[in-house]
Amino acid sequence: MPLDYPIATRTLDNGLRVVVSQDHSVPTVTVNIWVDVGSGDERPGQSGLAHLFEHLMFQGSANVAEGEHFSLLMGHGGRVNATTWFDRTNYFATVPTGALDLTLWLEADRHGRLLEAVTQHNLDNQRDVVKEEKRQRYDNQPYGNAVTDLVECVFPDGHPYQHPTIGSMEDLDRASLETVHAFYHRHYRPAATVVTLVGDVTSEAGFAAVERHFGPLTSGPPPRPRPPSPGLTPITRPVRRDRVEDVPNDRLYLGFRLPVGHTKEFTASALALDALGGLTISRLHRRLVRGEELSTGLSASAMSLARGASLGFVGVDVAHGVSTEQVEDAVCEELTRFATQGPTPVELEAALADTERSWLEALAAQDERANLISHYTLLHEDPDYVNTYLDLVAEIGAEDVRRAAGTWLQPASRVTVAYLRDAALTEGAA
Amino acid sequence: MPSTVVPPRPSVLDPAPWNFPEPDRWELDNGLAVQAFDVPGQHVLSLRLGIPAPLAAEPQEVEGVGLIMARCLDEGSERHTLEEMAELLERKGIAMGAGLGERGLVVEVDVASRHLPAALDLLTECLTSATYPEPEVRRQVRNRLADIAHEHADAGSRAALEFIATYFDPGDRASRPTGGTRGSVAAITAEAVRAYHAGIVHPDHATVVLAGDLTGTDLQSLIGRTLGSWPARHPVSQPAVALRENPGRRAPDAGQIVFVDRPGSVQTELYVGRPGPDRHDPHGWGAYQVLSFLVGGSPSARVDRVLREDKGFTYGIRAGFRPRARGGLFVAAGSVRGDATAEALDALLQVLDLRGADLAEHEVRAAADFVARTAPGRYATADAVADEAVGLALDGLRPEFVTSTLAQARALTGPQATDAWDAHVQHAWTVVLVGDAEANAEQVRALGRGPVRTVQSRRPSSEPNLAEYKCGDR
Repeated sequence: MPLDYPIATRTLDNGLRVVVSQDHSVPTVTVNIWVDVGSGDERPGQSGLAHLFEHLMFQGSANVAEGEHFSLLMGHGGRVNATTWFDRTNYFATVPTGALDLTLWLEADRHGRLLEAVTQHNLDNQRDVVKEEKRQRYDNQPYGNAVTDLVECVFPDGHPYQHPTIGSMEDLDRASLETVHAFYHRHYRPAATVVTLVGDVTSEAGFAAVERHFGPLTSGPPPRPRPPSPGLTPITRPVRRDRVEDVPNDRLYLGFRLPVGHTKEFTASALALDALGGLTISRLHRRLVRGEELSTGLSASAMSLARGASLGFVGVDVAHGVSTEQVEDAVCEELTRFATQGPTPVELEAALADTERSWLEALAAQDERANLISHYTLLHEDPDYVNTYLDLVAEIGAEDVRRAAGTWLQPASRVTVAYLRDAALTEGAA
Repeated sequence: MPSTVVPPRPSVLDPAPWNFPEPDRWELDNGLAVQAFDVPGQHVLSLRLGIPAPLAAEPQEVEGVGLIMARCLDEGSERHTLEEMAELLERKGIAMGAGLGERGLVVEVDVASRHLPAALDLLTECLTSATYPEPEVRRQVRNRLADIAHEHADAGSRAALEFIATYFDPGDRASRPTGGTRGSVAAITAEAVRAYHAGIVHPDHATVVLAGDLTGTDLQSLIGRTLGSWPARHPVSQPAVALRENPGRRAPDAGQIVFVDRPGSVQTELYVGRPGPDRHDPHGWGAYQVLSFLVGGSPSARVDRVLREDKGFTYGIRAGFRPRARGGLFVAAGSVRGDATAEALDALLQVLDLRGADLAEHEVRAAADFVARTAPGRYATADAVADEAVGLALDGLRPEFVTSTLAQARALTGPQATDAWDAHVQHAWTVVLVGDAEANAEQVRALGRGPVRTVQSRRPSSEPNLAEYKCGDR
């Protein structure tokens, strides 16, 4: 279906890219900022630094006291947070229209004048907080390090995506004020930043407000260009990593390199994963979960990334009494069959319909819409992608999907990460 | 980004007035209440159907039958098999699911607007002629047993399970998991699911909410033609179990500390609670929304200001009031560094031992403004509007409740907040910890906050008990 969210763009003299999408349905504005730095830019021995730095951005800046960014905006009805991922760091707030100016002022202060407020005390405190985040979400969680295992095996040595965004405890411990300062100088600058406004503001008023607060910031000398990211090809021999742990049941993750995001090939491979294992009618659900009951739960997903490759994986909970080999063999059989036959008309229709509804749901809220606009503006220089994506999806045919699966989702190209229940810990059926 | 030019800090303009959207409301001949919210620009419509069904209505020997019913609702009807039904739904991108809470069953349908007629047809078919085929029920039982093993392995859900078992009276349904226990789930048969469906899935007393861009949709006739054909019981009866029989009574010995041993844990999950208000509390629900945010809703709230931002014990502890149909709770939950367990628990309880008189006017004001001023954004999407409206309907409240609650929050004064807080502080805390007891239980004891009972965490198992299976479905 044709979408027509208004998109207006402008680049300030200092290189800052600004996108405004007005939507007066609700008296709020989302300010969504993407900075062109993620864990993929971290140097050896500095894993986790991009994310730790994101935390420090809430600890005050030249004219903002510690903790004031949160408390001030929330006290005016703002919903505020930030995230870090392989390709970027994202800061966002959705505020009542009357607080837009204040939000931009606070953002400009930390994006332009952070370092004088960063102290050893703040660094140590947020390092502790981040280490607890790692323990909570990864180390103390059954299967919590699966994505870490996958990226370590799927991407080659030295590749920007080969280590997880959360980093290692050793590297987090190593982060010093000097590394934080150097990181800021290297990566935080108007020319590496996109500011998107979505909501109750006209494009002219939005541009003027961003200019007012971000216009005075300067970019300094241009950074050393990032080394080019050559496109990766699929791995050619299967890789396996076993983890014997205290998990409730065996679980397999089959990971694959996928084409770089914002390409027809990536979308086709995402549709292939949906048709293979995302939908209720998908072949893997039909056979493994319902038909042969080899699995008690199954999912498939594709993660769009920007530097030469993306990541796709299938996760399978292995039913009790079933061997992981049997499950893996069945998945591989279906991958081979799919690559030969391609999707059935019904599988393709369902994958397209699912993609459409999911995209429309993602665009439903101002904050998520702003995030998608920032994403495709920063990484792919395509702010209008929110409007054109579904038209591009509709052009993808069964043969495109088959070819993507045949190229990227073959058994020989898989990484298998197996989480195996530690038999020594079993006390018998409880 | 160096810069020396700093514009003055801008002031903030007052927000525009805002009310929760008002629905068109009507009732079908079969007793089904309809609420339709036109939310322009929302291309995906959200339908929520709320059917009152107190958990206590489940026969105790098959507790969890409601959840299995919810999961099998679209897995076969008199007209279509599971595979056919799944195709009909997914070819049109219709996402249908169902879940169960304290108050009843909620069926959720999200669909691009042009496919609404097909979605309503299929929903009606499931409600009126779901067959619950034995293989599907057996498979869902098996998957649910695997889920239970996951719930026991995850520290957060393990803590929640131990908490309800400690907090609520063992005779009360609320003391046992919504989705049933291993024993009760293993005993669920297709016959039991069909009987439960026959008992509760009826249009009378139920509410359907539809939200989204309804431009050009003749909803009255569309819903009349579909959900209108769902037959009512004759005579229209009362809900199977009155809420007063399911009060959520607290156990006489609930004020205790329980340490669930999870050897080798690098963190300890804290789960702390005591009685709180429901939405009908005389101090007004708006006061409790404000207090929830003030105490435990952000990194700068009372709890995390100390435990996260000062001490660095945690990534974050969330705390706030949780209403039940009658009465409610105040709960604080989150994980802390293992070797700081006792110190973190002590710090948390000290913060929560807050007296109403300690509340500063400015923090009440800031929290009240957060609650009131975030509402337009929080309720901007079709799914958020529909979720809120159906939740209120199951609680016997109309959508206007959101607007009046926000008005109360906006106008809340310091003394009112003080009184509201002090009205629910007289009971002892129920404290559950899940972590390495050998390393930390002694230090928790030494805090002197009461005896500590240690529970060995049985290793979770996903192995189905085949004996129970046989006496179940065959």
